[in-house]
Amino acid sequence: MFETAERLNFITMNKEDLIEKYFTDTLSNEERILFDKLLQNDQAFKEEFVFQKELKQSIAHQQRETIKRTLQGFEANLNRKKVISFKYWLAAASVMLILTLGYFAFNKYTASQPEKLFTSNFSPYENVVHPTVRNSNNASIESKAFSAYDGGSYYKAINLLNSVENKEADYIRFYKAMCFLALDKNQEAIDLLLPIATSPNESSDKYKWRAKANWYLGLAYLNNNETDRAKSQFNVVINHPDCDFKKEEAKKIMSQIKSD
Amino acid sequence: MAGVSQKIHLEAIRKGDSSVLETIYKSNRDSFLSFALGFGINRDDALDIYQDTIIAFRENVTSGKLTELKCAPSTYLCAIGKYKIFQLLRRQKPNALDGRVIVEETKEVLDVNLFEEEYTNRMELIGKQLKKLGNRCREILVLFYYEGYTLDEIAIKLDYSNKLVLKSQKSRCLKQLKDSIL
Repeated sequence: MFETAERLNFITMNKEDLIEKYFTDTLSNEERILFDKLLQNDQAFKEEFVFQKELKQSIAHQQRETIKRTLQGFEANLNRKKVISFKYWLAAASVMLILTLGYFAFNKYTASQPEKLFTSNFSPYENVVHPTVRNSNNASIESKAFSAYDGGSYYKAINLLNSVENKEADYIRFYKAMCFLALDKNQEAIDLLLPIATSPNESSDKYKWRAKANWYLGLAYLNNNETDRAKSQFNVVINHPDCDFKKEEAKKIMSQIKSD
Repeated sequence: MAGVSQKIHLEAIRKGDSSVLETIYKSNRDSFLSFALGFGINRDDALDIYQDTIIAFRENVTSGKLTELKCAPSTYLCAIGKYKIFQLLRRQKPNALDGRVIVEETKEVLDVNLFEEEYTNRMELIGKQLKKLGNRCREILVLFYYEGYTLDEIAIKLDYSNKLVLKSQKSRCLKQLKDSIL
């Protein structure tokens, strides 16, 4: 009797609710049995159920399309961000390059006036002691050194000049100084030229290294921004009694040097 | 710590938070792609399957099949993905595989065919008419039939005074839709 009463309760329950419970997965066992029975025997019930099932399918189809488009949007975002960050990297790299170039240009064009005078007046003294002979076998270290000097390989020349037997000779030191000056290594050049410029050995100075050293020493001081010392060297050049080497040029420089 | 953040994620997925979805999408994408490409499918197919996998994963959450993350999302995604990749590779009818995916690590059972793949003309017609329904109706129906909300939850979310009011509204929407189909 209890069972019958319960069954009556179930039957009077809204058929709508039954279908709703199906879709929320909350049908009890008894309700499920009733549900299946109605599905088989009640045409209207079946129609309503099928309609809602198709509705659910239809909604799922639409929603999946929408969400999929959203996900494709995420995918596109990912790729776009990669492209953008590459462009930014490229822009940043360009800016760095421009800044670096600018720095060097700035350095070059704002060289001090003495440095500019050095640049416009300096050229390594030509090799007058060891004219290079091509294809000579058994070339000595010294000839190799001057060969390198003529070719502008100043580091190589310096190395070789450091290995010659008479490396303390004036002319060896002089040409080594030329190499250093060509490499903008002012102090090394000054250290080499100074003894030559103040050497008292007039008689052995066949090539007048002393007079030439004065000129180059002057230039070296200019490149080193030691203007006063440069001036005194150029004065020696101008006033040299028996050597005209670079006298006019020295005078011109003296007029160009702005007195500090 | 990890467990707490995972739980929050699951709730956020249920709520339909777009930024959470994007986070999940982005953080699992690369590892899923390597996994999928290992089966020998091409990149476009892999991405397509990844997106379908995300949707299936999400549907398992909204339908209540997945109530907590017992392991990392990537585990679930790979389990589902593997199924879908086999589907693609064998090119069999979807019903030949019964849609059950078992997560080896936790023995949980997921369903890849929560919604049947078939899309009939009638469904298309329903879809068309559905778009013509008012926003209110569409909202209720989408929340109920796709997002897995109970009537109580919908009543709260859409600001209905009580469940019964919502229920009668839903009935009216269904009737309106049915009438427009006939």
